Amino acid sequence: MIILKNVYKIYNEGTPQAFEALKSIDLKIAEGETVILNGVSGSGKSTLLSLIAALDKPSSGKITVGGELISKLPDLHASAYRAKTVGVIFQHFNLLEALSVEENVMAPLINSGFDMATIKRRVMKSMALAAISHKREGEVKALSGGEKQRCAIARALVYEPQLILCDEPTANLDRANSLKFIEILQSLHEMGKTIIVATHDPLFEGLSFVNKVIHMEDGKIVKREE
Amino acid sequence: MNEILLSNEVIVYLLSEAVLYMLLLIAFLVTLGLVRKWNFDAFTSEQFMWENRSYLVVTIISFAMLLKLLLLPYFVYTVDNLSDLIPGAMCGAGVIKANEYGNPLLALKIIVLFLSGLWLSVNSLDLKAKNYPYLKAKSWFFIVIFVFLSVEFALDILYFTHIETSNPVTCCSVIFGVSGEANDLPFGLNTPRLLILFYLLFALLVLTVIASMPLVSIGASLLFVIVAYYAVVYFFGTYIYELPTHQCPFCMLQNHYNYVGYFVWGSLLLGIFFVFKSAVMQLFFKRSSKKLKRVSLLFLTLFVVLCSFYVGLYYFENGVLL
Repeated sequence: MIILKNVYKIYNEGTPQAFEALKSIDLKIAEGETVILNGVSGSGKSTLLSLIAALDKPSSGKITVGGELISKLPDLHASAYRAKTVGVIFQHFNLLEALSVEENVMAPLINSGFDMATIKRRVMKSMALAAISHKREGEVKALSGGEKQRCAIARALVYEPQLILCDEPTANLDRANSLKFIEILQSLHEMGKTIIVATHDPLFEGLSFVNKVIHMEDGKIVKREE
Repeated sequence: MNEILLSNEVIVYLLSEAVLYMLLLIAFLVTLGLVRKWNFDAFTSEQFMWENRSYLVVTIISFAMLLKLLLLPYFVYTVDNLSDLIPGAMCGAGVIKANEYGNPLLALKIIVLFLSGLWLSVNSLDLKAKNYPYLKAKSWFFIVIFVFLSVEFALDILYFTHIETSNPVTCCSVIFGVSGEANDLPFGLNTPRLLILFYLLFALLVLTVIASMPLVSIGASLLFVIVAYYAVVYFFGTYIYELPTHQCPFCMLQNHYNYVGYFVWGSLLLGIFFVFKSAVMQLFFKRSSKKLKRVSLLFLTLFVVLCSFYVGLYYFENGVLL
């Protein structure tokens, strides 16, 4: 269960340039739910994702994920939480261009303490889930946008996280690749993963496996559809 | 400006200390706010601000304290090098005695080093937890350490600005006597009694560490460090110098003696520090670490073996003792 209670995020707090990116956010997401965060650019979707991913801390308010207080995690523990609990898929993929697909997918496990056989098994499994196994030895820079996104999905899944966060995942994809991405999301949903997608792509409207759609505007939740 | 303040080593040393002190002063000011306003149970923007600032403070203090660990041997090296500029001084012993600030400064540096090491240990425990359980404790501890740091910085300035290069100083042979007789030793000790005490206290320290008796370990280590100092200066050191009248804690730090002094004093201080750390962890944090005990015993044993080695070597080479 993800619970956000009265969460605010203010950038440049205490200065004349102070900007309220999130205002009084209250939200509950049950385990296994797929949630779409909808809203125009600047509405606070990505900020909200970064707080749930413990990439940033709120200015005030409480965030708990699976009973763990995320909003106050010291940096060392926030890193461990991100590595083990959260898989993040970014709009710009954030892959290491000089490495192969397999090496990119393997990267999060380098310091995991798993033995090589386990690492290999996990890498193969997540590449298969993301439908990118056929490109495993190919360099990332030679991949198409859709393939890069699938590589990013495989990397996000390799630690077998319960929570998958996607920030504008289809913004750089054509329609066919976007539909392929949604297909992968559906299979992850069926596996019981909790998924939160920040997007304003109309392709995500009316999807049968989506449990909630949260509409955001100016850092506030303005509408909830269940 | 005197020659001392124009020496490269002194310039580097004082500048480093000044920069570190400025950083620690910032950390101190923020820490004062932390101890007053910290409330982990609050989810207000003020509390989040203090949590962010606590990272800044911890980073500054850890950085400064780790550098201060390196600055102690550098201070000793600097003092030793200054002996070329001061008439009568042949090593750091003469330079330290050049004014009344030298000895308190050296003692304070060792105390600050111990306290810093303990602070780093508490900090490491705090960082391992998710809810900052020792934040207030380590903040108060830092405030206490900062008082020592301020006095140390003032003494640093006073010491280096008050060394006269025109006045001759007494050096080791005069300070520590030329006779090597028992009356140079404190508490009416003579050399055989000193050595018996040295090895007995070492054995006691080993036993108390193994038997996990933290309070006795602290007491024994304090006694051992005093007895070890005299034992090195008045007995073991003479075998390093191979001269019974050469009773000096500093000359062994020089190139001529292969810098063995750094290993001798370093192993003693590290051994005692880890005994302290192990005891403090047991007494205040209910944590007993076998690894910590092993490390403390390793350094103490290294110290005792190193000291004894020079006596054995001399006997092996010459067939007699000094």
